[in-house]
Amino acid sequence: MIKKTFKIPDMSCTNCAMKIESLEDDLEGVKEINASYHKLEMIIEFDEKRLTDDEIVAAVKKKGYTAIAA
Amino acid sequence: MSTKQNKPSVDPVIVVMLGVVFLAVAIAMIIFQPQSNSIDIAANSGVMSQLVVAFVTGITTGGLSCLAVQGGLLASSLAHQIEQDYVEHTAKHKKSKHQETVRTNSALPISLFLVAKLVAYTLLGALLGWVGSFLTLSPTTRAVLMIAIGIFMVGNALRMFNVHPIFRYFSIEPPKFITRYIRRTAKGTDTATPIFLGLLTVFIPCGVTQAMMATALGTGSALMGAALMFAFTLGTSPVFFIVAYLATELGSKLEKFFMRFVAIVVLILGFVTLDSGLNLMGSPFSLQNMTRNWFTPQAAANASADVPQPVTAAEGEIVLNVENGGYSPAILKAPAGKDLTLNLVTNKTYSCARDFVIPDLNFYELLPDTGTVQVNIPAQEVGSTLFFTCSMGMYTGQIVFE
Repeated sequence: MIKKTFKIPDMSCTNCAMKIESLEDDLEGVKEINASYHKLEMIIEFDEKRLTDDEIVAAVKKKGYTAIAA
Repeated sequence: MSTKQNKPSVDPVIVVMLGVVFLAVAIAMIIFQPQSNSIDIAANSGVMSQLVVAFVTGITTGGLSCLAVQGGLLASSLAHQIEQDYVEHTAKHKKSKHQETVRTNSALPISLFLVAKLVAYTLLGALLGWVGSFLTLSPTTRAVLMIAIGIFMVGNALRMFNVHPIFRYFSIEPPKFITRYIRRTAKGTDTATPIFLGLLTVFIPCGVTQAMMATALGTGSALMGAALMFAFTLGTSPVFFIVAYLATELGSKLEKFFMRFVAIVVLILGFVTLDSGLNLMGSPFSLQNMTRNWFTPQAAANASADVPQPVTAAEGEIVLNVENGGYSPAILKAPAGKDLTLNLVTNKTYSCARDFVIPDLNFYELLPDTGTVQVNIPAQEVGSTLFFTCSMGMYTGQIVFE
């Protein structure tokens, strides 16, 4: 398990953070996601053997946001 | 290429929206009706008038203001529905590139959210009224509350305008454990999330709601508190519904336009609330008090010309008419250096003007709708000013000592 921070500059409200956090339930290999609208970022704890950065970025994009590895 | 073949001919969103609007109008009419026959129900007129004020406040300002604060929760209630519609849509149209045109059934979650909110706030009103029967919220506490609310609203509006990252902190993020709990328990159901989130709105009331909560607390009655919050929340519902509906149904361009519109309204309301708080504190720096001071000579001249001035001022008595639209005269002149009696005269006054406050004297009283209440004013220095206001900081005036 590793923890990574992604910047998400296009969050516009607290609901965006909640939507991004719902990836916890959608993505295989994710243990926890803490998204913050205040900081425009998400901290994701995941199994790097089951999930790649690109897959995370793609999943965030599917939610309507842009994730940039910090 | 049809997207939804079994779509009913009448859009349920429109039906529900119209239903909410008609319900709100019908209740407004029921409330307004006895007001016109107020002579017959003098004892209840004050109550009815408070409910009318609460409802009108809700329908005019509360809806937009609440939406700014609670929009996140409402959007969360819709998120599941939107997501489900999106999933259904993409499953049907895998190759479609027009994903943003997904049509969502937002009427049900919005309605559930609003009904839950209505129930929650009515219960909260009952609780506040009950608590209020044990304690009194002083005008100063209320003023501090209003100033804090005003700053919060202005900050929120500036956040919406994306003025500076610091303003993002004016947006309240529900605790992670709550959002996680909601997400996981509501998974697979369309009704639990909006209901639960609607109930949760009591934890993040908007500025106008908080002012109304303070009023509910001030009623000192569980029934009146509940009725007040019910009237207010019902008033907010049509605006809430329409804006939420438009925001979710009309696409991102209009949503942006609407959020800007909401931001402007919230900004104005924020300044109004801030100003009301300053009024309630008796501050000479509120917009109302400052502008009145700027025009003091002219206004005073007008007052002395148009309004019967306190003829007995020299004998230590001054008269202030407390009317539905405010105080007359707005500027009272009184002799300095001697104790005075201020006669507050009400005549079928049902507005919040009769919730009379003189902050500097720590005087606060709910005047009878018709009658005279005397206030003893200790001797004041020459050139000093005593500001007075209603308990909501809306109507103001001042006594200038010469």
